[in-house]
Amino acid sequence: MTALDIQPGVPTPTEKAGKSSGGGFLGVIRANYDLLVAPIIVVVGLLLTYLYISAQNLDTIEARALEPANVLSQLGQHLLLTLYSTVLVLVIAVPIGIALSRPGARRVQGPVLALGGFAQALPPFGVLLLLGFWEFGIRSAVIGLTLAALLPVLRNTVVGLQQVDQSLIEAARGMGMSSRQTLFSVEIPLAVPVIVAGLRVALVLNVGTATLATYIGAGGLGELVQQALRLNRINLLFVSGAIIAALALLIDWLAGVAERAIVARSG
Amino acid sequence: MSETENMIVLEAVEKVYPGSTAPAVERLDMTIPKGEIVMLIGPSGCGKTTTLKMVNRLIEPTSGRIILDGEDVTDVNGDLLRRKIGYVIQQGGLFPHFSIADNIGVVPKMLGWDKNKIRERADELLHLVGLEPSTYRDRYPRQLSGGQQQRVGVARALAADPPVMLMDEPFGAIDPITRDRLQDEFLEIQRTVGKTICFVTHDLQEAVKLGDRIAVFATGGRLAQYDDPDTVLTHPADDFVSDFVGGGAAVRRLSLLELSRLELHPVETDVAAVGNQNGTPVAEVDGAGRPVSWRHLPDRDAAGTALVTVPLSGTVYDAVDVMLDGSASLVAVVDDEGLPQGVLHWNDLVAGLKTRERER
Amino acid sequence: MNVFQYFAENSTQIINLTIQHAQFVFYCVAIGSIISIAIGLLVSTGEPNPNRFSFDWWATGIREGSLLITAAVLTIPSLALFVLFLPITGLGVTTAIIVLTIYTLYTVLRNTVAGLTAVDRSVLESARGLGYGRVRRLLTIQLPLAWPVILNGIRVTTLISISIAVVASIVQGPGLGKLLLTGITRIGASNAFPQVLIGTVMCLVVAAFFEIIFAIVQRLTIPRGIRV
Repeated sequence: MTALDIQPGVPTPTEKAGKSSGGGFLGVIRANYDLLVAPIIVVVGLLLTYLYISAQNLDTIEARALEPANVLSQLGQHLLLTLYSTVLVLVIAVPIGIALSRPGARRVQGPVLALGGFAQALPPFGVLLLLGFWEFGIRSAVIGLTLAALLPVLRNTVVGLQQVDQSLIEAARGMGMSSRQTLFSVEIPLAVPVIVAGLRVALVLNVGTATLATYIGAGGLGELVQQALRLNRINLLFVSGAIIAALALLIDWLAGVAERAIVARSG
Repeated sequence: MSETENMIVLEAVEKVYPGSTAPAVERLDMTIPKGEIVMLIGPSGCGKTTTLKMVNRLIEPTSGRIILDGEDVTDVNGDLLRRKIGYVIQQGGLFPHFSIADNIGVVPKMLGWDKNKIRERADELLHLVGLEPSTYRDRYPRQLSGGQQQRVGVARALAADPPVMLMDEPFGAIDPITRDRLQDEFLEIQRTVGKTICFVTHDLQEAVKLGDRIAVFATGGRLAQYDDPDTVLTHPADDFVSDFVGGGAAVRRLSLLELSRLELHPVETDVAAVGNQNGTPVAEVDGAGRPVSWRHLPDRDAAGTALVTVPLSGTVYDAVDVMLDGSASLVAVVDDEGLPQGVLHWNDLVAGLKTRERER
Repeated sequence: MNVFQYFAENSTQIINLTIQHAQFVFYCVAIGSIISIAIGLLVSTGEPNPNRFSFDWWATGIREGSLLITAAVLTIPSLALFVLFLPITGLGVTTAIIVLTIYTLYTVLRNTVAGLTAVDRSVLESARGLGYGRVRRLLTIQLPLAWPVILNGIRVTTLISISIAVVASIVQGPGLGKLLLTGITRIGASNAFPQVLIGTVMCLVVAAFFEIIFAIVQRLTIPRGIRV
């Protein structure tokens, strides 16, 4: 049941099937009600956090750490780390995944899938720290994030391409399209949902792993957590956790919306 | 008919699905006598399957009463009721994780039978449906062909020896050749077990072949006709039934006419009769008295006509088949020993059918 | 100090931490799976009748709701969730177990629901026709037939948990994460790198161990008739 091993955050085809969208605005809402969950959690969570913090008397250390400028700069670092590594993962993993779907490379697919499944147990934290021994900073953090997300996304791409209806490819070949034409006008368009799903997996993984980049001096929102732990400030811990959770949910949500829109357009 | 001779009685049973106003089955009164096979037939959406499933209350009737062997079962516990009614469906529905023997033993186990008794029963039933117990009892459903699975499905339904069996297009997904064989075996089994059987089909041929009675359902859940196959074919109750039965009715009816019910022409085997003036055909026989060739035919050259035979236990359909196959315009009807009992002419056949129709 | 030397000198500690890591993952996956399968069994009873309000309505609501929420939780970075529980449950094993257990829920729940609802309709119908009640159908037909899918969910969730468990050491949870954290804080020391490397690699050893266990469990528990 390879179809059921798809990475976290990516809905399986069966989950999406059976959701019939009626017409009009209400129909869109009804068909996509699941996309309302994350924004509600984020808004309610952030509101509660804000109310909680407003009611507390923050000491100077806490106040300084939570200064908007400070939080925003860490947020910026975090987003940059996520962006760079996600683009790298896509540029590397998706083409390899497509290449593996070529008839000649089919034999390698099995081992890659098995390896990709097994690699889920490889802790990104460990990969990141190991690169820290080579160099502290953003460069090794980006490489670490990329390496950690590579195999899961590759696996996802291969599984997704396997699900492309073989009869369509056969039909294209049967009409006289060359292997190359088939790839570009049938397989890749049909694989767009897969590539988008891969993007979403990479994003989720990288946002998460980027929280640990602070341990090799690459900044990000993890720094807030590390500071809070070091100084033993409960309020700070709570706020940093809430911000990171909200960011991750929001990014996954945006990717989800984009995915839905692109998949809807590509039929 | 007294009350106990009717196994299933549906009294004013109606089914209206929630959210729809038109009934799926319209006020249905139906009586199924003990030991008979009743075929429910009709176009899709006519309520035949709904009717079947109301008998074991897989579908609850909206109104009306269901009486099983004299007992009103409209409101009894559905699960307990269903353990007393055999049920066979099109896809077999065998439990893939149970061995064949365990599949057959499902209901007996629920009824608390002793383990040895269940095993013996499974073997007995496998034997009955023509599967060698020692080969098949420990296999799993996916190791069996579709036809074999369906046999096991029938065995499973018979396991607890229920007086009533419900069958929902049990041979619908089977290839035509296997289906034909399964139908023959099914009739054979029924001769032994004598169950009251309610059988849904969409195949008129199957209905005519298997049914003691046919219930034709019309679109909208109306019972259009409920009669024996012969009557349904020859005297359709209304336009719907005659449309449904269609143009092939007369040919289908041939398979209902047993040769033993017909008046046959005499046949002579005495060579002395050759050249007689009364037009009786004379056949040459072998040592055992079995006809081998025509010696004399009144209206044509005997040597140029092949002698074909058909058993007396066959139907007119078989006789026609044999005649067409042998390019012969007459056929000798023989008994179990192969001794000639009479002759059927192509022309008689047409005239004979007409005569019988006029009799009604 | 090279990696092998470090391993030889600290083998007892490394093996203890590895076992601790495996136990930690095992407990969380076990608790999470029991919860998920229980929820899955309760909420996969059938499609609700659109015209009659019944238990099925609750079941469908709970099913969709819990799938959506557990899926959302899975996107939250583990560090954030560990940290969010600190004010409530404090530093240590409790927080680690609670959070890791939460992460195991989605995959098993999704596979349980998918497996139970994917059971061939004709099999369910004939079970009903033979007089199987709802509970009997669920436990003797649907659950065994869904088991391969559920077990695979547990396997996948175990692999993911092995890697997430490492982060638990930041909130003083058990397991191999300790090696990673001490290694990185003593960067520059001769045994820092071997510590981090061994901590990371031992996760794969734990994963291999669980893969073997799952292969055995699969052989033992998947009914013969549906084994592929």
